[in-house]
Amino acid sequence: MKRKSIKLGLALILMLIVSCNEPETVVTDYVHPDGSVTRKIEMKSIEGDVKKRFNVSDIQVPFDSTWIFRDSVEYDKKGDETWVRRAEKQFKSIDEINLAYKSDSGANKVTSRHASFKKRFKWFTSEFRFSERIEKELSYGYPVKGFLNNEELLYFYSPEDLKTNKEKGPDSLKFRALSDSVKRKTDIWTAKNMVSEWIGEFAKLTESKADRNISLQSLKSREDDFVTLIEKEDKKLDSLWKNGILLREFIGDANALKYKSEADSALSIVTNKLLIKFSDYSVRIVMPGKLIGTNGFIDRGQVLLWPVKSDYFMTEPYEMWAESKTPNTWAWIVSGFFLAFVLTGVIVRIIKKG
Amino acid sequence: MKPENEKYNKVLDLLRKSKPDLDSTDDIEREVIKRIERVNHSRLSLSDVIDFLFGWVYIQWVRRSLIAASIALVLVFVYQQSVILKRIDYLSRQTIVNERENGSAPADEVEKMLMVYRNSGRRFPTKNITISERQMKELIESVNELQLKYKDLENLIEGDPELKEMIEKKLIENNHTKINL
Repeated sequence: MKRKSIKLGLALILMLIVSCNEPETVVTDYVHPDGSVTRKIEMKSIEGDVKKRFNVSDIQVPFDSTWIFRDSVEYDKKGDETWVRRAEKQFKSIDEINLAYKSDSGANKVTSRHASFKKRFKWFTSEFRFSERIEKELSYGYPVKGFLNNEELLYFYSPEDLKTNKEKGPDSLKFRALSDSVKRKTDIWTAKNMVSEWIGEFAKLTESKADRNISLQSLKSREDDFVTLIEKEDKKLDSLWKNGILLREFIGDANALKYKSEADSALSIVTNKLLIKFSDYSVRIVMPGKLIGTNGFIDRGQVLLWPVKSDYFMTEPYEMWAESKTPNTWAWIVSGFFLAFVLTGVIVRIIKKG
Repeated sequence: MKPENEKYNKVLDLLRKSKPDLDSTDDIEREVIKRIERVNHSRLSLSDVIDFLFGWVYIQWVRRSLIAASIALVLVFVYQQSVILKRIDYLSRQTIVNERENGSAPADEVEKMLMVYRNSGRRFPTKNITISERQMKELIESVNELQLKYKDLENLIEGDPELKEMIEKKLIENNHTKINL
């Protein structure tokens, strides 16, 4: 019963803080050889109120009245209804997508996102590269790859469905252990980022002070001590910070008094950055021709998938890229004729010489 | 008429006596025969076509350049194809997703938010405060309690191989069914 209430509580928080009225969204980009992109969005919402459903301000990617869309309702086995909106728009070029990102008024308008497209002619083939990039949030954070090994990194960036399936599959114990390990290490990573960012912001706020006697370097050199202290006093942090004990430990008694307001402001900035208002979604990309490279997850239909979560672009830019190629048939024909012509010439010469 | 005839005969004799000094009669003969043949057979022969198309094989620098270009083309083709095949092979070993990903936030993320909340001295950005502090405290306590119980359970399972085996078996059985927490 207690567990159920915890689960319920988590779901409540999830709805209040994370989801609000934001639908479950999957964006699919169909990239064409000329650089144009057909973007399709599928949004699912359980919101019953038609006025609250699919509001532009709740949608994770740019969406407006210029899109062609169609709404439908789906029922699961229990009879619960889910509202689905399928929208589509043709972007003539990448610039149009970037323009839409710039003027986005949706749920993730605070993030800096942009797309790019490159076409390279390589005689026998033409290669295409399409990418979507989200710029990093923290200025002084550490890349997550410094905290996780390759297996853990793969798990960290995995889509939720894949994680759930693995945790329920034949190697469930192994994957649960992996999940725990990733969680433990990413907790340390978050704590370290928080301290590092606080140090950076605090140093920035105090650098103009004439009588400043604490440097960024001196604070940085004690960063690991701060992280250890935060981890150790995890449950008492609230009162320790409010009473100024933590700050005194960090920068000394005299400085703690002198720079209390700067320290509070720095913490506030860091909290805002770490708890960025971002609604998760998924990106799918369909490339022209044969797929030759990607950093995403591939399904059986060669469609690429990336989950997009705020953790992924916290300390380093998150780039979702894919490369593909199409054969240049005319170049193959021209090359074939050329080779046959030269070879025949050489044979003719050998015959005549003989 | 008589003197004119005499003059003509004299010139003719003179011309007959002064024959041109030919040093390549065979060449002239061959050329004459060739021209006669050309007149008789005005259509192109295969040999002419070959000579026309592959005349370059007798010019050394053209021949060498074209052979070099052909080899370069073959090498480029082999290199490009091997690179592409290698990349496709690498892709085939990448994780395949069978099911569609949805946009819902996992419980892990909520826990991460809670951790940030705890570490930041219990403060949420003003724009995001949608629940009361009391509710949040209750939730944190519940999560902490849950984590402790989870660790205890893990230790219990790890310490009992029979129990571990039984749970593993049960989990496999319930692979596609929801586990009631």
